[in-house]
Amino acid sequence: MNEPLSISVHELTKRFGDFTAVDRVSFEVRRGEIFGYLGANGAGKSTTIRMLCGLLSPSSGAARVADTDIFQKPEEVKRHIGYMSQKFSLYMDLRVEENLEFFGGAFGMWGKKLKKRAEYLLDRVELLDHAQMLTGRMPGGWRQRLALACAMLHEPEILFLDEPTSGVDPRSRRNFWRLIRELADEGTTVFVTTHYMDEAEYCDRVGLMVAGRLPALDTPSELKKTWVPGRMFMVRGIDSTRALSLKRRDEILAVESFGTGYHVQTSDEVSSPGDMGKMLQMDKREQVEIEEVEASLEDVFLRVIASFHKDNTSQEDS
Amino acid sequence: MRAFFRRVAAMAIKETTHISRDKQVIYMALGMPVVLLLLFGYAISFDLDLLPMGLLDRDNTPESRSLIQAMTASDAFEITKHLDDPNQLHEYFKNGELKTGLIIEPGYSKSLKRNETATAQLVLDGTDGTTAGIALGYAAGVAQAQNLRNMEKLGLMAELPIQARVRALYNPSMDSSKFIVPGLIAMILAIMATLLTAITVAREWELGSMEQLFSTPVGRLEILLGKLIPYIVIGIVQVLLVITIGSILFDIPVKGPLYLLFGTSFLFLACTMGQGLFISVLTKAQMVSTQAAMISTLVPTILLSGFMFPIENMPWPLQALSYIVPARYFIDSLRGILLKGNGFSVLWPDILALGIISLVILAASTARFKRRLD
Ligand SMILES: Nc1ncnc2c1ncn2[C@@H]1O[C@H](COP(=O)(O)OP(=O)(O)OP(=O)(O)O)[C@@H](O)[C@H]1O
Ligand SMILES: [Mg+2]
Repeated sequence: MNEPLSISVHELTKRFGDFTAVDRVSFEVRRGEIFGYLGANGAGKSTTIRMLCGLLSPSSGAARVADTDIFQKPEEVKRHIGYMSQKFSLYMDLRVEENLEFFGGAFGMWGKKLKKRAEYLLDRVELLDHAQMLTGRMPGGWRQRLALACAMLHEPEILFLDEPTSGVDPRSRRNFWRLIRELADEGTTVFVTTHYMDEAEYCDRVGLMVAGRLPALDTPSELKKTWVPGRMFMVRGIDSTRALSLKRRDEILAVESFGTGYHVQTSDEVSSPGDMGKMLQMDKREQVEIEEVEASLEDVFLRVIASFHKDNTSQEDS
Repeated sequence: MRAFFRRVAAMAIKETTHISRDKQVIYMALGMPVVLLLLFGYAISFDLDLLPMGLLDRDNTPESRSLIQAMTASDAFEITKHLDDPNQLHEYFKNGELKTGLIIEPGYSKSLKRNETATAQLVLDGTDGTTAGIALGYAAGVAQAQNLRNMEKLGLMAELPIQARVRALYNPSMDSSKFIVPGLIAMILAIMATLLTAITVAREWELGSMEQLFSTPVGRLEILLGKLIPYIVIGIVQVLLVITIGSILFDIPVKGPLYLLFGTSFLFLACTMGQGLFISVLTKAQMVSTQAAMISTLVPTILLSGFMFPIENMPWPLQALSYIVPARYFIDSLRGILLKGNGFSVLWPDILALGIISLVILAASTARFKRRLD
């Protein structure tokens, strides 16, 4: 972790009229890191990205991107970053290579150098065989890869990707993330927002955004340790009364319905599915399935939201 | 500076590709001017075709018949009623059967022979002002020609009033299409140019590609110039098209130098397209900007440019307003170049005015074009 800082944000705030879309957010991202930004709809993810890309002027706070102050030199920032906006915004009526040539030209690139770079990137995003295709005719996953290539033409130090995989099939999503990991390993800093909790697992560190605030930020495993301590069991085949009755026990920290069964979070004393089964006092005829699972970021996210709202209501009460 | 031109070129190439992929734009750009020219060229003809005329010839001499023949020879008037009393005209005007009446008093030929002023009365239905005005012009022309012929017969040579000469000089057959087509060219170019460009910036906002553009170092002026260039090329093609068709169908001559024709067209296009961009920059929505573009070009180009109504006859506030209407200068220089063969020495004020307006509008668009999303 002695890589230099790529992004440093301090108390960054954006207000639209009376409404605060991003509220005193602070974090730092190091070079080559994949920083995931999670949050529900309207949490303020895109607004944060737009400020960091020099597209929106922040209301207050401070932020440096690629060693450039975004308050003072928003135009300078643009030379160092690649941006993929949430809404797909390449030109559908241009061919794949025409889109690349245009955005290259927009970055002041030209001639042979641009051609070589475009070819290299097409190869990397596995679209080299489709350079002549009209962008509008390609499936969503391909378009996203093309958009990524367009954002990388000028060899940016930092990539800002706003929900790059929304609406893309799972296989394409996995491919896309492999590509992002490769880029990060080569030293590109990646700031990425997502709705998908499973994708957040690919990130080096994750920030959870709730209503403009950033109440949780850490590596995925630390987040789980902090927010979902102890152990987690997946229990299938019990009814809700039974599940709720578990809650009365001291070793049981939480019971939440999860998929086809329940996620039961316990203290470390409950160390195996067998211990768990004893607590359920199963009789032999019952078909109950118990399995120890790792807490997911979804569990973390639910906890963070719950505690955030509890804090807020108690604040309002006092 | 090199980077500036590269980015403008990238924008222009991209925009050209959009245009080349969009059949609708191509049809609109090349088909509409032709359709509009045909439609308007024939429909707004100011020529009088066989205006119904009532006749009362109380002189009934070879001279009076010669006048009647001269009047009807031009296809402008057709005698449809023979009157017994001048007052009958009122009835016929009211029910629309007649538009004009020609009344020749007894003694017309005698006065002519004595070389006194001979009078014949032309009565016009003044409710249709334009028609009446043109009819009057025709009749005056005929009368003058008749005058000249009579004087020649009498062996006299006389100088005709200058004014009468100027009237007919550039348009000897008094053929109004020669006046209208230059105005039409201006109108067609203005509508097409404003419409085409009004859409392009707004479309980028609607598609979301403007946000992507803003994340690159492309500047506002670069975006606007890059968008303008291909459309100006289209505009010049339109000028060629309209003038070619105009000269084939309406006998429009091109007497002046071609470089001036294209030079003024270029400046006029820069003005109107600049206006389209300005609207597009302000509204950010294609529907709104299309409508705003239509209204803001069509109305001044038709009403305030001298296309249909002479500027000298307008009340002063409208006259003042006409100074910022680019079509005013363009129509004036087109008439000069096409019909009179005027050169730069005559037309430079028009050219200067067009140049200034185009720069101002481009500067205003750039200033209003925020490179930020908030
Ligand atoms: N230009 C704007 N003017 C006013 N309000 C805005 C503007 N842009 C965003 N907002 C509001 O700010 C809030 C945060 O928006 P933002 O787009 O940052 O959310 P997000 O986390 O990206 O959500 P999503 O997952 O839907 O993309 C929303 O409530 C949105 O309505
Ligand atoms: Mg968003």
